[in-house]
Amino acid sequence: MQVTEGIILLIYLVFMTIIGIYFYRRARQSESDYFTAGQSINTFVGAFAIFAAIASSSSLMGAVGSGVTLGLPYYFTYAFGVLAALPLAMFLISGQVRRSGAKSMPDFFHQRFGTSVQILSAIIVVLAMTFYMVPQLTAAGIIGSYVLGIEYATATIILGLGFTIYAALGGMWAITYTDLFQGMIMLFGAVTLAAIIWVDFGSIGNMLDSALATDPAFGDVTQPWMSYFGLFIAFIWFGIISPSVVMRNFASRDARTARRSSMWGTFIYIILFLSGFFITIAGVTLGIVGTLENTDMIFVSVVEEYLPPILGGIMLAGLLAAIMSSADAMLLAISAGIAHDVYKQHINPNATERSVTLLGLITMFVAVIIGIVIAINPPGIIAVMVGWVGGFLLSSFGFPFVLGIWWKRANKIGAFTGMLGGAVLFLILVASQALPTNAEPIIAAPVSLILVIVVSLMTSPPPKEQQDRVDMYHTHLDN
Amino acid sequence: DTIIIIYSTIVFAWWPTDIYMAGISLVAWLMFFGLFLWFIIT
Repeated sequence: MQVTEGIILLIYLVFMTIIGIYFYRRARQSESDYFTAGQSINTFVGAFAIFAAIASSSSLMGAVGSGVTLGLPYYFTYAFGVLAALPLAMFLISGQVRRSGAKSMPDFFHQRFGTSVQILSAIIVVLAMTFYMVPQLTAAGIIGSYVLGIEYATATIILGLGFTIYAALGGMWAITYTDLFQGMIMLFGAVTLAAIIWVDFGSIGNMLDSALATDPAFGDVTQPWMSYFGLFIAFIWFGIISPSVVMRNFASRDARTARRSSMWGTFIYIILFLSGFFITIAGVTLGIVGTLENTDMIFVSVVEEYLPPILGGIMLAGLLAAIMSSADAMLLAISAGIAHDVYKQHINPNATERSVTLLGLITMFVAVIIGIVIAINPPGIIAVMVGWVGGFLLSSFGFPFVLGIWWKRANKIGAFTGMLGGAVLFLILVASQALPTNAEPIIAAPVSLILVIVVSLMTSPPPKEQQDRVDMYHTHLDN
Repeated sequence: DTIIIIYSTIVFAWWPTDIYMAGISLVAWLMFFGLFLWFIIT
């Protein structure tokens, strides 16, 4: 066990739980408080919250691990795609979904397309977000077992329940304010580590020379073109299709705040990836990547090499923060999908707000237990599992969502067919292993797009009320 | 009331794997500059 790092990690976990308890009373006041923090989050808090929600274990451990193993062009493909995710979401959906007043993605589908599309989308959210927690829990288990010196399965259970407690107690309020703290600790840890590496090497030129001396192929494009393009496409859509990220727009005070939060969130994310650039180079110069059982662990090796125990503990807490701040947002998306979109709207419309938030709380614990059971024997490496989730959401949600905002003629039958057709085709392609890993959305997403357009045009236009709603999404309300 | 498509298309269509700057493929540098382009247009 790493004693100093372990103590810092435990202090961090206790602090997160205290935040959850602090917001418990406020979160249980209403559904709006529990799922969207009363739609009152400001730009500063919102920027760190959206950054922390989108930057998960794969942004730090996964990107650095893949850069060390597959070369610098692969690392920058990762950054190039994921850093365009928030701007693209801002250009195409942020202001519009905030103006719609929806509480969740299925809620948006309900007001734009009606009940059947809402229920299908709620099922997709619950399935995808539950599976998305698996790579996060896997990463938490790896770090926890390393620092605390306990079994991987035990670490996964302890840390999984750890973030569920504060998320379930405090809802979006606790998740947003823990994200603010987690985003800061993540950024502080990565920038400090990068600065120490820079000072150690003296200049960027020396760093690149050392890395190329250790691994002459570090600067090369080492994989087929399709691997880079598939990765880029999966990540660039992530800000639009991931309910855990899109929900941050619902929590913003207004459309203007949602946009500014996304802009500053992007700026913080660039700093994180520039720090990761230095950490990747340091990882290569260690020359140990061939000896590691799991290449995602190279990040931890760099931390051990360059940081004293106290700073190392903060950096590892930052890694856990990256994991938890994304996983708690996934839990909230699952919880809203079950409690708000299915139970309140279709099973028991007269349910009180307290009973809906209680069901949301229970749903989170059920979801995390399912996630932990799968994560104890994970079905793939972290980056591949994240790729599956992104591909599934893009193939099902991506085009019905964007066309629902921008194209009046998109109707209920078109959206339902595109969503179901894309989802089913994606699952068939994964199960049959007909394509290279993570290349499935290159086929399934365009099929979803064609289905939405063709079926909408072949059937009657949506009612005028729904078409007027599209105008409203693009209308500035000036009080 | 999405420059992103044009710049991305240039990078992936050109794909200059045989041009190097400071030992690193130009592909990586084009993407590195792309990060700043994303923030500027945002």
